[in-house]
Amino acid sequence: MSPIIQCRAVEKVYRQGAVPVPALRGVDLDIERGDFASLAGPSGSGKTTLLTLMGGLDRPSSGEVAVDGQAITRLDSTRLADLRLHKIGFVFQIYSLIPVLSAIENVEFILRLLGLPQAECAIRAAQVLRDVGLEGLEQRRPSRLSGGQQQRVAVARALAPKPAIVLADEPTANLDSRNAEELISLMAQLNAASGTTFLIATHDSRVIARTHRHIEMTDGRISADERIGAAGP
Amino acid sequence: MKPLALLLPIAWRNLWRNPRRTGITLLVVIVGTWSILAFDIFLAAWAVNSRDASLRVLTGEGQIHAPGYLDDPSVSHRLPARADALLAALDSPLVGAWTRRVRVPAIIRSEYRTRAVTLLGVEPAKERMVSDLPSETVAGRYLKSPGDAGIVLGRDLAQRLKTRVGKRVVVMAQADDGHLAEAGFEIVGLFGASKAAEDEFCFTGLGTAQRLLGIDDEVSEISFDSGKQQTIRDVVARLEAAVPAVEVKSWMDLAPLAYTIERFSQYYIAAWLVIMFVLMAIGIVNTQLMAVFERTREFGLLQALGMRPRLILLQVVLESALLIGLGILAAIALTVLSVAPFHRGIDLGALAGGAELIGAGRMLYPAMSVADTVRSGLLVWLFGIAAALWPAANAARANPAVAMVEP
Repeated sequence: MSPIIQCRAVEKVYRQGAVPVPALRGVDLDIERGDFASLAGPSGSGKTTLLTLMGGLDRPSSGEVAVDGQAITRLDSTRLADLRLHKIGFVFQIYSLIPVLSAIENVEFILRLLGLPQAECAIRAAQVLRDVGLEGLEQRRPSRLSGGQQQRVAVARALAPKPAIVLADEPTANLDSRNAEELISLMAQLNAASGTTFLIATHDSRVIARTHRHIEMTDGRISADERIGAAGP
Repeated sequence: MKPLALLLPIAWRNLWRNPRRTGITLLVVIVGTWSILAFDIFLAAWAVNSRDASLRVLTGEGQIHAPGYLDDPSVSHRLPARADALLAALDSPLVGAWTRRVRVPAIIRSEYRTRAVTLLGVEPAKERMVSDLPSETVAGRYLKSPGDAGIVLGRDLAQRLKTRVGKRVVVMAQADDGHLAEAGFEIVGLFGASKAAEDEFCFTGLGTAQRLLGIDDEVSEISFDSGKQQTIRDVVARLEAAVPAVEVKSWMDLAPLAYTIERFSQYYIAAWLVIMFVLMAIGIVNTQLMAVFERTREFGLLQALGMRPRLILLQVVLESALLIGLGILAAIALTVLSVAPFHRGIDLGALAGGAELIGAGRMLYPAMSVADTVRSGLLVWLFGIAAALWPAANAARANPAVAMVEP
C-alpha cells in the first residue's frame, strides 16, 4: 500500500532580507497509513516547516511532496484548499476554532464545506463530538470552553471529514498535564479504533512516549526514524 | 454546498464581534445615505416648487403661438379662430388641460399714475386648470366668464397706481387695425403672486379683450398641460407635427430659469451623491481593511481548513453587504422621520423675498418617492459592496501557513 505522504528531497529556504535561511535540507520521508507518529526535535529543527509543506499550506523551494499519491507541489491555491479539505485534518498549537460558531457548528462547518446535506452534517458532528467526550457541550461557543475542551473540538473538526491523515502541531503545548494526557490518549484511541493516521509535531516527551513511530529532526534533516510498535488497524 | 446559506449566518455574527467598529461604520453609512436621500428630497421639492412657481403663474407646461409672436407679442400675431387640426390635437389624450388667451402689451392708467402692463383676456373656468393665479385673489373677486367686463390687477400694481377694488382704470392697447384702442374697466379683484407677476399682468374676460382689440374670436396664445403618462417633449413634438403652421414651445424654452434650477438640482444631487459616496467608501474601506488585518490569522486558518479563497472573499463581501444594507435601512427610516414633519409643506414666507429671487415659490412640499429611495439605496449598496471588494480580496489572499504560527 502506498504511503499517505511522501516527501522526496524536500528543501525549504526562507529569506530574511537578502539572507537565505534554509529550514529544510533535503528531507526524504514516508508517512504510512495508520501511523501514529511523532515528529520531534529542537526549536528551529524544521518540524513545523515540514508539517506546513506536508499539509499543502506552503510550497517547498525544491523537491516533491505527494499526499495520497497526488503530487501537490504545483497545485494552485484553490486545488490545495480542496486537497486540505478532503484529505488532511489539522490540529494547531492554539485551538483555532471559529469564535462565532458553537462547538458543533465548528465541526458542521467543515462538513458543509464538503457539500454534505445539513441534516447529515448535524448527525455526524454530534457523533464526532461524542467520540471526543464533549457530549452536552455542543452548543457552547469556544469562549465558554476550557483549553482542553477547545482542543478536543479541534480534534473533532479534524476527524469529522474522515481525512487520510491528521497533522497536529504541538497540540498539547497550551494544555495542562491532565488535559494534555487526555488529549494524547484520545488521539491514540482514535488511531487504534479507526486507523486514522496521525503525525504529531511535538516537544512533549509524554506525547512522544505514546506514539508508535518517533521521527527526529535536526537542522532541517531527518536525524532518526524509529518504529516502536505496530501501526493502527 | 450552498455558499450563501453557509456563510450568511457567520457573516452576520462576525459583524457583532467588534460592536464599536460596526457601530462607527454603520454611523458613516447612515449619515451618508441619509444626507443623500434627504438632499435628494428637499432639492427635488425645491426644483418642483421653482418649476411650479413659474409654470403655474401663466406658462403652463407648454404654449402655442402664431409664428413671430414670441419676438413681437403684438395683436397682429394671432392664432386662427377655427383650426380644426389644432383643436383635435388639444382635445386628444396628449393634452391634459388647455386654455386660450389674448395677450398683448398695454398701458394702464389710474387717476394718479400710468404703467406699462400685459393685458390678458382669459376664459376663467379653463384658466383655473392651467394657472394658480385665479385662486390667488386677495381682494374682490376673480373674473366670472369670458364676457366679464371687469379687470383683475396684481396687488402691487394697484398700490403703484394708487387704486383699489371698485375704482376704475383705463387700458390702452394697439388694436388690430392699428389704432390705439382704449376702454375703461372697473377693478373687480386683486391677485397676489410674485412682485414681478403682480406688476405685469392684468386680466379681463377673453371676449372683452377681443372686442377691445377688434379681433373677433382669435387669440394670442394657448397654454396647456400635458396629459397623464405623457412627457412634455413628446407632446410638443406631436403637436408640432399635427399643426405645422403654429409655434409650440415647452416650458423649458419658455421658463429657462425654472429649467436651469431643475437641471442644477439634478446635477447637485448627483455631485452630492458622489461626494458622500467617496466619503462613505473611505470609511467602509478603512474599517473593513482594519477588520481584515486583525483577522489575517483567522482567514489563513479558514484556508488551511479547506475553505476556498473565493468563499473567503464572499464571506467578507457578505459582511460588508449586511453592514451597508443595515445602514441603508436605518438611513431610510431616519429620512422618513426627517421628512414626515414637513408633509404639509415648508412655508418659506419668512424668506419670501429671497425665495422669489432664486425662483422658488412660497411653499416647499418635500415628498419621498419609493422608486427614488430604492434607486438611491440600491446605488449606495452596490457601490459600498464594490468598495468592500478590496479588503475582501486581501482576506482571500491570506496565507494559510499563518495558521501554524502562534499569534
